[in-house]
Amino acid sequence: MIAPSIPENEGERLAALHRYQILDTTPEEAFDELVQLASMMCGAPIALISLVDTSRQWFKARIGLDVQETPRSVSFCGHALHDSDVFVVHDALADPRFATNPLVVGEPKIRFYAGAPLTSPEGLKLGALCVIDRRPRLLDTRQRSALRALGRQVMVQLELRRQITERSKAERELDRFFDLSLDLLCISGTDGRFKRLNPAFTSVFGYTHDELTSRPFLELVHPDDVEKTARELQNLRLGRKTIRFENRYVCKDGTTKWIAWTASPVPEDGVIYAVARDITGAREVERLKRDFVATVSHELRTPLTSIRGSLGLLAAGLMGELTPEAREMVAVAERNSVRLMSLINDILDFEKLESGKVEMDLRPTPLLRILERSIETTNAFAVQEGVSIELHSSNTAVLADEARIVQVVVNLLSNAVKHSERGARIAIRSHAGPEWVEVKVEDRGSGISAEAQPLLFERFHQIDSGDSRTKPGTGLGLAICKAIVEQHGGSIGVESRLGEGSTFWLRIRSVDPALCAVSA
Amino acid sequence: MRVLVIDDEEDVRYVVRMSLGRVGKMTVLEASSGAEGIARARSEKPDFILLDMMMPDMDGAATFLQLRANEETASIPVVFLTAKAMASEVQRLKDLGARAVVLKPFNPMTLAADLTAILEG
Repeated sequence: MIAPSIPENEGERLAALHRYQILDTTPEEAFDELVQLASMMCGAPIALISLVDTSRQWFKARIGLDVQETPRSVSFCGHALHDSDVFVVHDALADPRFATNPLVVGEPKIRFYAGAPLTSPEGLKLGALCVIDRRPRLLDTRQRSALRALGRQVMVQLELRRQITERSKAERELDRFFDLSLDLLCISGTDGRFKRLNPAFTSVFGYTHDELTSRPFLELVHPDDVEKTARELQNLRLGRKTIRFENRYVCKDGTTKWIAWTASPVPEDGVIYAVARDITGAREVERLKRDFVATVSHELRTPLTSIRGSLGLLAAGLMGELTPEAREMVAVAERNSVRLMSLINDILDFEKLESGKVEMDLRPTPLLRILERSIETTNAFAVQEGVSIELHSSNTAVLADEARIVQVVVNLLSNAVKHSERGARIAIRSHAGPEWVEVKVEDRGSGISAEAQPLLFERFHQIDSGDSRTKPGTGLGLAICKAIVEQHGGSIGVESRLGEGSTFWLRIRSVDPALCAVSA
Repeated sequence: MRVLVIDDEEDVRYVVRMSLGRVGKMTVLEASSGAEGIARARSEKPDFILLDMMMPDMDGAATFLQLRANEETASIPVVFLTAKAMASEVQRLKDLGARAVVLKPFNPMTLAADLTAILEG
């Protein structure tokens, strides 16, 4: 007897076999039917699907044989692995490779063997679909091609089985995430009813799964939010995505919760996929923070009123003439109380802008008026610092909340003055386009490094210019400017190079100047 | 000119007293609560009242409404003094019937002149 040799690519072959995760599994109808067919078509009493493992051949399906596996060393299929086509042994007793094989001389007394190789998509031979007889015989052409075709079908089934196994594993993984998620995950029908919900829904709303799915979800929405929720649902039905939608739900215990949604519809399937989060706590924290900032700021104003008032009266000599040193000291205290006051004002202003509490009163406004008012406000400071301001503006109009845009331009101008040398000039220029007007404030100061530029408009960010003349600010000015300009639907930015000065620009919507007269 | 300052903060009253009294040469009467202020307004009949908004017990708005409800004080002009600088808050006080709203902190050197202008204007 000659034992089957080990193929050169044995490692790869075994890895491929094991990927199918089929060894030692229970019988499956699809494979059982294929061996039945093979047995019938070839007129053989035994038919097997044999998979050749490291040291055994294991039968996924078998007919006419009681054993589940045999050693690889005595297997016929081990030999079949080396053949690219159907491997046939017409009479095992007459074949030196098998004449003394225990499966030939003993049970099941094999005399005839024909095996079609089971070839994986990457060309590796995993085993064979074989038919066996206890008498020597031949395989006719039809039987040979039938065996070959059935062998291919075995591979198709194996492939299918693997894909299903992998898919269900992936599904189990996703299900686990679905169940674990603290965020709300759901699939809803465009009819406004939940189809599939994760357990987070139950923990957030207190309702059971059935209570949630048995009625339209609008019934759970807070009465004041039903209308906007219905509108959002209509948008989803039309195929529009929901980016961030916030609404309130009434929980089973009667409490109200704020939920933030992101949803994506598939109108042709009539479903909406949605992810949501309970933001009740976050909103409460935000509210407390805002209240805290507002309260603290207001509370700070009262003592500051006494401090500034007292210092102002002292400085004015109301309590008698001060010595030069005392005057200087009072001036320091007064200057710093002014600084503290502007910080408090800026914090309040920024907080209001950020929380969207400030409504912009947008009207067609002549740009020239805005720029002239801004210069008027800044001029005293500029004169004091020995800096002059030049205005180059065309007669154009913008859609703006005049007081707020003046606030922005004043801020940019004051910054420019602060960063300019005595005797320097600052220029304001405007460029009007068909839709936008751009206003530029140019200085010849020390400039801002490229790394520092993106941070400029962040709150409490101040650049270290290394210039001892630079007056300290609150660090909120540009953040406030950005908030104001953005509430105008515009943008703000800076172009600057160290040592070459800076140009701050803002862009807001232009309008027909004729409209100014109408609204004035 | 006789002015009644109603403010619970003693230090603020002091600054107002100096500012209106010394700088503005007005006669300054004081009250540290809404209730005391109403009583003094009835007995002293000041030319106008400078009323703080944020006070414990009875706040500026409540004090103002009682002043208006009382025949003896109903016609005395009231200027609010407030640390709440929000436009909506200022508008609310004006809607209530305040003659004007002065924001804290004020300029002590010009307060008297500013108030005179408001009352004459």
